[in-house]
Amino acid sequence: MKDVLLIALTHVTTAIRERVTLFWFLVFPVFMLVVLSIIFGQIGQEGEIRFDIALIDQDRAAPAARDFSPMIVEVFRELATPQLPGQEPLFALHEPPDGEDPEGFVEREVTALRRGRRAAVVVIPAGFGDAVLRAISAPMGEEPEPARLAVYMSRTDTASQMASEIVAQVLSEIDREILIRSGRFDPSREIATETVWLGRSDAETRYIDFLLPGVILMGFFANGLFGVPGAILFNRDRRILRRYWVTPMSVPRFLAGFSLGHLALCGLQFALLFLLGRYGFGATISFAAPIPFLTLALAAVTFLSFGFLIASLARTANAGMAVANVLNMPMMFLSGMFFPIVGLPSFLLAVVYVNPVSYLVSGLRASVGVESGPFSPALLVGVPLGWIALSMLVAARRLKWDVER
Amino acid sequence: MTALRALLVSESRVLLRDRTTFFFTFAFPLIFVLIFGFVMGGFGNVSRSTMGLFVSSDADRPTLDETLDAAASMALEEYSSLEEMQEAVTDRRIDFALHWDGASLRFLYDANRVQENFAFAQVAAGLSSDFNLRRQGAASAVSVEPIPVGEIASAGWFQLVLPGILAFGILSSGLFAVSGHLTAMKERKVLDRLIVTPMPPLALLVAIAAVRLAVAYVSTLITLFVGMGVFGLRYDVDWIRFAVLVACATVGTMGIGTIIALVVRRPSSASNVANALAIVMMFLAGIYFPVEFMPSFLRAISAGLPLTHLANAMRYATGVMDMAEAEFWAITAAFVGIAALLFPILARYVVRPLRQ
Repeated sequence: MKDVLLIALTHVTTAIRERVTLFWFLVFPVFMLVVLSIIFGQIGQEGEIRFDIALIDQDRAAPAARDFSPMIVEVFRELATPQLPGQEPLFALHEPPDGEDPEGFVEREVTALRRGRRAAVVVIPAGFGDAVLRAISAPMGEEPEPARLAVYMSRTDTASQMASEIVAQVLSEIDREILIRSGRFDPSREIATETVWLGRSDAETRYIDFLLPGVILMGFFANGLFGVPGAILFNRDRRILRRYWVTPMSVPRFLAGFSLGHLALCGLQFALLFLLGRYGFGATISFAAPIPFLTLALAAVTFLSFGFLIASLARTANAGMAVANVLNMPMMFLSGMFFPIVGLPSFLLAVVYVNPVSYLVSGLRASVGVESGPFSPALLVGVPLGWIALSMLVAARRLKWDVER
Repeated sequence: MTALRALLVSESRVLLRDRTTFFFTFAFPLIFVLIFGFVMGGFGNVSRSTMGLFVSSDADRPTLDETLDAAASMALEEYSSLEEMQEAVTDRRIDFALHWDGASLRFLYDANRVQENFAFAQVAAGLSSDFNLRRQGAASAVSVEPIPVGEIASAGWFQLVLPGILAFGILSSGLFAVSGHLTAMKERKVLDRLIVTPMPPLALLVAIAAVRLAVAYVSTLITLFVGMGVFGLRYDVDWIRFAVLVACATVGTMGIGTIIALVVRRPSSASNVANALAIVMMFLAGIYFPVEFMPSFLRAISAGLPLTHLANAMRYATGVMDMAEAEFWAITAAFVGIAALLFPILARYVVRPLRQ
């Protein structure tokens, strides 16, 4: 037993001492957790994202009775002011300096929009106040021509699309306020809008709760895909394995120690990522139940056996790493680990359905109550078990331990 | 000149024989394009989404129908029971749903579609506002007229991502040419043998750069044409700018690879460090996610990354983003400058035997 434990300890120590291994096992999953939480966890949340918006009021000269444009300018200026200390305002507002030619300003800002330096350019045209007045003076039941505000945006730019949608929402609120003040809309007769969340609770799942199981499995996956064939094949190439066989160590005992070391590494990854997710990003999901624990164990064993499969298919360590690199991205991104799998063509769906990561990600999320998932419980367990059996069968037949000299 | 010709031939053969490099150079960008094109192409795109509808009261039904007809951007599927519709939402057969009971508009979302619900909620807000106005016989006094700008007004998100993938391919290829290929030659003692011949170190670098350049052109063109053929993307490529940018960026990123080869002492670790750096840059350079979604400190890091500027210049050269002419040439010149500054260092300190 001591020799098995020593092999396990050697595997863990080597992995931790090797900086590159450490990067892929621990630093990269942590990086993904941090970056994706920062990027996707805050979409739509004021105080976290900021858009550069240009605003010009070309109707400043309108008489006081029709001066609707200052109201709009004021709202935008308010949104460009931080609501709380340390928070970023929603907009960084760019307005023309006094005396600048309005047409020149619009041209300059639209060019900046084309160049990705502005997310939207809002133009309140001359005569806007008159148009608003006409719209609110029209007899009820008629559909008068509304006053139009031009919002320049770029459809190639996701940030611009989002910014223009937010601008549209802001203007919709201003429109509602104008209609209420002019007596054309009665807020007391307004039909209420309710939001119903279908899922684990009566609130939307927090992004970190969705992301954390995926990142934990990504760490396990990298560990199995790169760590297992890397350790076996490099040791074989450098003739380190041979040295074991001149000792009383047998291949099965080496294998037991190596697998134990792999599981210990997975445990280490899990502990670090879970603690970071929980205390760094406020994740609320709990893995302290038999089903999440068993799913994590199933994932660790599946990726371990998958690593053996790759090691058995490659002749050298470099070839093994190449195979692992080829499989890494497609298996990771065609599993729903980070992004939902919807609307894929059949040839890519086939990859999703044979990919064991799809079932493990879905199973782990379902076990912590984050996803109902498209797969039945039998498939969630059966497909990874099938991969374990297949991998072990191939590895038992093909993997060379360099025992013969 | 004879040495250069011989090195060119041998470098080309090495590349064609090395299946791993061949795969990473040609197939890897294609896999990226295909996976991201399909997986993220329809991501959060409400015009491709389906809303479920269950009406349990006939009150204001004509108004509701008018409202839904006016918002014709997405598909609509009507259900005969609330349970059936809820099941369709949780099974993701539909994206979100509306239940009208005569007293309130209830929008149903799958709580776990955390990356997409924001877009669906915006559609719901628009529907609710329009329905309320119509119900009271009022009409909007203010409306928004969106005016798309850009080289290709009808372009979508993926149109902007593909040039970013091209830029990432060039960066990886350049970085690996030095930190992967050259250091591997060192490790295998191939450099030791070459150095004792009359071959000038610069000839080896020129040969590697020339082969990488040819590979960069072929690889970027294949990726570009696959994007256009498979996903119907349209690009208005300025071929002169494209050719100049690919050439300058390839040698420039080879120069950046020199820094890695100099800093990382063990040759076998250099390619791993290059790989890790390339992936980190890919996430922070706004290739897949807009920089605006990041907090200010990450935006500042992003602005300092060479990949951010290379991706923007590539978007300009392919006609999907505007850029000041001076900025494009400044980026291009910066890559040439990096190469001019670092190639002599590369020749002096990297192209030398491991034992020195």
